[in-house]
Amino acid sequence: MAIENIKTNTGWADQDHVPGLKSELLELNMGPQHPATHGVLRLVLHTDGEIVYKVTPVMGYLHRCAEKIAEGVNYKQWVVYTDRFDYLSPMTCNHAYVTALEKVMQQEVPERAEHIRIVVSELSRMASHLIALATFGLDMGAWTPLLYCFREREVILDLLERISGGRMLYNYMVPGGVRYDIPKDNWASDVLDFITMIEKKKLKDYNELLSYNKIFIGRLANVAVIDPETAFDYGCTGPVLRGSGVKFDCRKDDPYSLYHKFDFDIPVGLGEMGTVGDCWDRYMVRVREIEQSCRIIRQALESLPEGPYSALELKKPVKAPAGAAYSRVESSKGELGHYIIADGGQTAFRNKVRSPSFCNLQVIEKAGVGLMVSDLVALIGSLDIVLGEIDR
Amino acid sequence: MDQKEIYELLAEKLGTAALGFNDEGVEAHADVAPKNIAEACLFLRDDERLAFDQLMCLSSIDWDGYDENGKGKSVKILGYTNEGQPETSDRVGEGDFGVAYSLYSHSKLHKFTIRVRVPRAKAAVPSVAQVWSTADWHEREAWDLMGITFEGHPSLRRILLEEHWEGHPLRKDYQMPDKWDNVPLSGQPYSNNPFPTPVVTPDPTPDQPAGDDPVEG
Repeated sequence: MAIENIKTNTGWADQDHVPGLKSELLELNMGPQHPATHGVLRLVLHTDGEIVYKVTPVMGYLHRCAEKIAEGVNYKQWVVYTDRFDYLSPMTCNHAYVTALEKVMQQEVPERAEHIRIVVSELSRMASHLIALATFGLDMGAWTPLLYCFREREVILDLLERISGGRMLYNYMVPGGVRYDIPKDNWASDVLDFITMIEKKKLKDYNELLSYNKIFIGRLANVAVIDPETAFDYGCTGPVLRGSGVKFDCRKDDPYSLYHKFDFDIPVGLGEMGTVGDCWDRYMVRVREIEQSCRIIRQALESLPEGPYSALELKKPVKAPAGAAYSRVESSKGELGHYIIADGGQTAFRNKVRSPSFCNLQVIEKAGVGLMVSDLVALIGSLDIVLGEIDR
Repeated sequence: MDQKEIYELLAEKLGTAALGFNDEGVEAHADVAPKNIAEACLFLRDDERLAFDQLMCLSSIDWDGYDENGKGKSVKILGYTNEGQPETSDRVGEGDFGVAYSLYSHSKLHKFTIRVRVPRAKAAVPSVAQVWSTADWHEREAWDLMGITFEGHPSLRRILLEEHWEGHPLRKDYQMPDKWDNVPLSGQPYSNNPFPTPVVTPDPTPDQPAGDDPVEG
């Protein structure tokens, strides 16, 4: 039976497709313990043989109600909880929260602090994208790229450990600046060496190993196409939206921090291997973004100004005047926003987090229909979700 | 387009249902009557001058105890006592619920925020899931954590919590349950631990013969 018929026929399960034989849809649980769901996500699938008829994501296994905690601890104490949202790029999560808070507080940040923030955010974005490539390759049956990508990520973790003290969860940014200055022991030149190595050699390696691999392209080209209208409608952002050919990036189109000072491009899906907005396009956007992150880091480090790295005293709690604001940054997964309502005290009255993975995952309800089960795995991998951020 | 101009277009369309425009503070917002919110959103999306094609964020707000004067927290968050019992209070929540819609237009590159307020006794807002599909999950989350009903939502059920969870945790007067599925939730003092660590008595080991120490290295 053709996929189109399955999609359009709403009374599918009640029909006898072969005369005399009764058939029905199979309800299948994928997850929560499943290597391809990238965390504790459960997908309830209704399948007809290999073809998916309906996808219902079930989440909340990692729910900690961090928004409630935000109403009980003061502004600075909540920075550690933002680390736990997207634990693969915690620096961008830190950045999103402090940016939103500084907007409500109307707090200026020293230029040096903004430069350091941009450098660590971009390093974190690279680490996150490396994991995305690695695990996506693993989903598609390629084992070797995982080892390559984790090797480079290890270098990033070492660099971030030297600046913040943590390897995975940093708690590095504070309202008004950053917690520590750049270490004196050649940290900046080590970062520059690292990004030169990535630009000159490693990206070529990944492309040869994975991106232009014939089997990999065969698995991804023309699979699970998301068109721009659907992407807008479902609130997709980040590489998912750009993979659909939409040139939108908060760093360019809604600039925050000092991103407007730096020169970089926004890679979009071009449909080189098939249709614009297929899985391969979403994958390739991430590879190209690593290159652009390298460019931003180089410019930010080369123009690093002298001066203080924090405008406020580190140990004092901060207060925000009464008011509300929504602020967003481009995290590695997409648009990460905070809607903060302050009542003038030291604690947020309400802090709503708009997480990119939460919105990106929703599109699976539409894009996943009519796919083979193995292609659904490709779709999940290309959305690059993190469950810590979805469940919060 | 300027925020004020957007509001004027909206007020022209909605008439008396547009309740006001507030541009004090860091971010301007418009207040709209709750029953007209779906109509307002549809207008904002479809009007060529506005073209808000993305719902960035939908936030639910409990205005209970909001104090603009900055006298610190007027509502205490209930937790667990030192003895491990959940703190209780007889205080009943008051004040309205609110929903804030943050919108963005990719073609016109402008932003806008609309807010609605509904009374606590009847917390119901028309759903905008027909306008932007992304509102579907956002509204489910708002229902799950704040308990605001969205009328006309395709399937309003819990999204982050268990389906048979009681209460809505983000409400200011929420009280934590002391048990869940007959398991005490947390904060139990050690003496009351229902799952005590079993005491293991080590087997008497025979004396090691001399000179049988493992060689290091």
